[in-house]
Amino acid sequence: MNRILEIIKWKDLIRNLVLKNLRIRYKGSVLGFLWTMINPMFMMLIYFIFLRLLRIAIDLPSLLVGILAWQYFVMCLSDSVNAITAHPSLIKRTSFPRLVFPLSMVLANLINFLLSLIVLVLFLSGYSLFFGYTITLGLPLILLPGVIILQTALVLGFGSFFACCNVYFKDTEHIMSILLLAWFFLTPIMYPLEKVRESAGQFFNLYLLNPMVPVVTLYRWVFLGIAPPTSPLFYLSCLLPFLILFAGVTFFLKKELYFADEM
Amino acid sequence: MKTIEAINVSKLFRLRHTGTPTLKSRFVDTIKRRRGSEDFWALRNINFSAEAGETIGVIGPNGCGKTTLLSIIASTMAPTTGRVITRGRLASLLELGAGFHPDLTGRENIFLNGAIMGIPRRTIEEKFDSIVAFSGLDHFIETPIKFYSSGMVVRLGFSVAIEVNPDILLVDEVLAVGDQAFQKKSSRRIQRMKEAGKTLLVASHDMGTIRRFCDRVIHLQNGEIDEQGVPAGVVDNYIQSAQELPDGLGKIAGWGTMEAVIRGVKFRGSGGNGKPAYRTGDDFSVEIEYFAARKIENPVFGYAVHTHDFQLCSGSNTQIDRCPIEAIEGPGLMKLSLESLPLLRGHYLLSLSIHSQDHNINYHRQDYTYPFDVVSSTDRTGIVDATSRWDFRPGGEKGPGSQG
Repeated sequence: MNRILEIIKWKDLIRNLVLKNLRIRYKGSVLGFLWTMINPMFMMLIYFIFLRLLRIAIDLPSLLVGILAWQYFVMCLSDSVNAITAHPSLIKRTSFPRLVFPLSMVLANLINFLLSLIVLVLFLSGYSLFFGYTITLGLPLILLPGVIILQTALVLGFGSFFACCNVYFKDTEHIMSILLLAWFFLTPIMYPLEKVRESAGQFFNLYLLNPMVPVVTLYRWVFLGIAPPTSPLFYLSCLLPFLILFAGVTFFLKKELYFADEM
Repeated sequence: MKTIEAINVSKLFRLRHTGTPTLKSRFVDTIKRRRGSEDFWALRNINFSAEAGETIGVIGPNGCGKTTLLSIIASTMAPTTGRVITRGRLASLLELGAGFHPDLTGRENIFLNGAIMGIPRRTIEEKFDSIVAFSGLDHFIETPIKFYSSGMVVRLGFSVAIEVNPDILLVDEVLAVGDQAFQKKSSRRIQRMKEAGKTLLVASHDMGTIRRFCDRVIHLQNGEIDEQGVPAGVVDNYIQSAQELPDGLGKIAGWGTMEAVIRGVKFRGSGGNGKPAYRTGDDFSVEIEYFAARKIENPVFGYAVHTHDFQLCSGSNTQIDRCPIEAIEGPGLMKLSLESLPLLRGHYLLSLSIHSQDHNINYHRQDYTYPFDVVSSTDRTGIVDATSRWDFRPGGEKGPGSQG
């Protein structure tokens, strides 16, 4: 616990690393930081155009909400494998708490995510204005920070775990891409959660073990007013991210002492 | 006050034979019931402490555990057993500018580096000007450091580490950074830190540095403390112990890539056993037995003679003396001769080296490694025997040499 609190002392470093992370991503490009907004804008536009052209019957707003949440998750998990291993000289020569690495990686991605949420809100308002889509923004909107915290806890937990794994097992990096592909289809992004509930039967409980299920569902509730299922098991699964955060960080703190030996 | 305390510190490394572990290598090792690793104790039961104001040198051959010990004190590595207690702010010069990012400017990197050392942003802001001034890089501070020369990067890293005023400074082989002027400046600065009661821990192969800076020296051998005490005694014993074992690369004094090594040195024309002794005006010659593990093209052999207080008396190499060597491979002999030694009585230190023509690769350097004495029958003082003569002419009578 002390070691977790100690990290507050390193806020300057975390801020520095987050800024460095963001700055370097767009270094040298003409539009620079604007890309964090332009990217999701064009993504939404392209989905919009092609779903129309191809007449695919997918609810665009709920697809976009799912995809943005998924992107935050994917960015964190794919960045996490290199969060430690990309910094051998820092690991071998400095002594600050290693949790700084996954944490600053997650925070940098969080900032990108928040900016893409602004684009999402703009897009959704335009969409409802011009296409008669009714969005019931209401009480659930005040839950938004809570949902973001939930997902951030989740990616930090997984991020710390996989960052650690890649130090000891270089294969983690390659397993990750396969894992993420399967995970994508196990998460209600291309399809509504209701569909799984109808067809999966008893396996639905198992399906709820995927912590991204409550995350995506809650975002849809917040932005689109699509209510989550009322099963108590669903609310229980909302606690999963915190469990994963605890487990991931505990594992990380146990292993961090020996990172330098492995590099 | 004790600023560093190491209590029973040991460090076990698991050496893998197959590089980084992958799923496959672990799998194959399990199937074949083979252990993919070997245990290696890099440090065993290290006990020592350092007082405030003390400068401690750590010496020993390559692989003796110097860097591991410093890493554990800097707490970048955890000891396998035992513990290290440090009091006060610690800065390490283990790798200067470890946290530098090439795309960021000098200014941004100063702040980043400070943050890595856990120094509050406010402090860095206050010290910013003196950091830049010390580094001498004020013209380049807004330039991304990827455009810096390697010397400039090191200077910047050194300046940050030293300007934040640490209580404990760990130094690994980097006292010689930057150009001559910067080296002088940093030596003076380190001297001032000593006077201000800071603790310095210096790991080096350069016996000159060790003798000059340190109050106490720890000699590590195979991960254990072989001897600790005053520099003169420990360094001399280390040099001698290193010479006693002419075979086996790890046990030769000096440092370098060890692709070519000086295996043995025989002083010719000096009398008998013990420390070689010469007379002023004697022909001084040294036979160097070398061994090149691979073919090395255009190597250069060099020598230097210093007084016991490290003033350079004379130095040269095969390049300067126009004795080009096409290549060396395997064993061989090189003979160095100085005709009629022009040194006056005193204790001297001979350094030898094998390096590349551009001095970028040091195959083997033995700095201040071979002590020898010079005795002279004359009472002239100084270092150099200038064969002085006097011509006395009272009354202004014209001498034979003058025109008239």
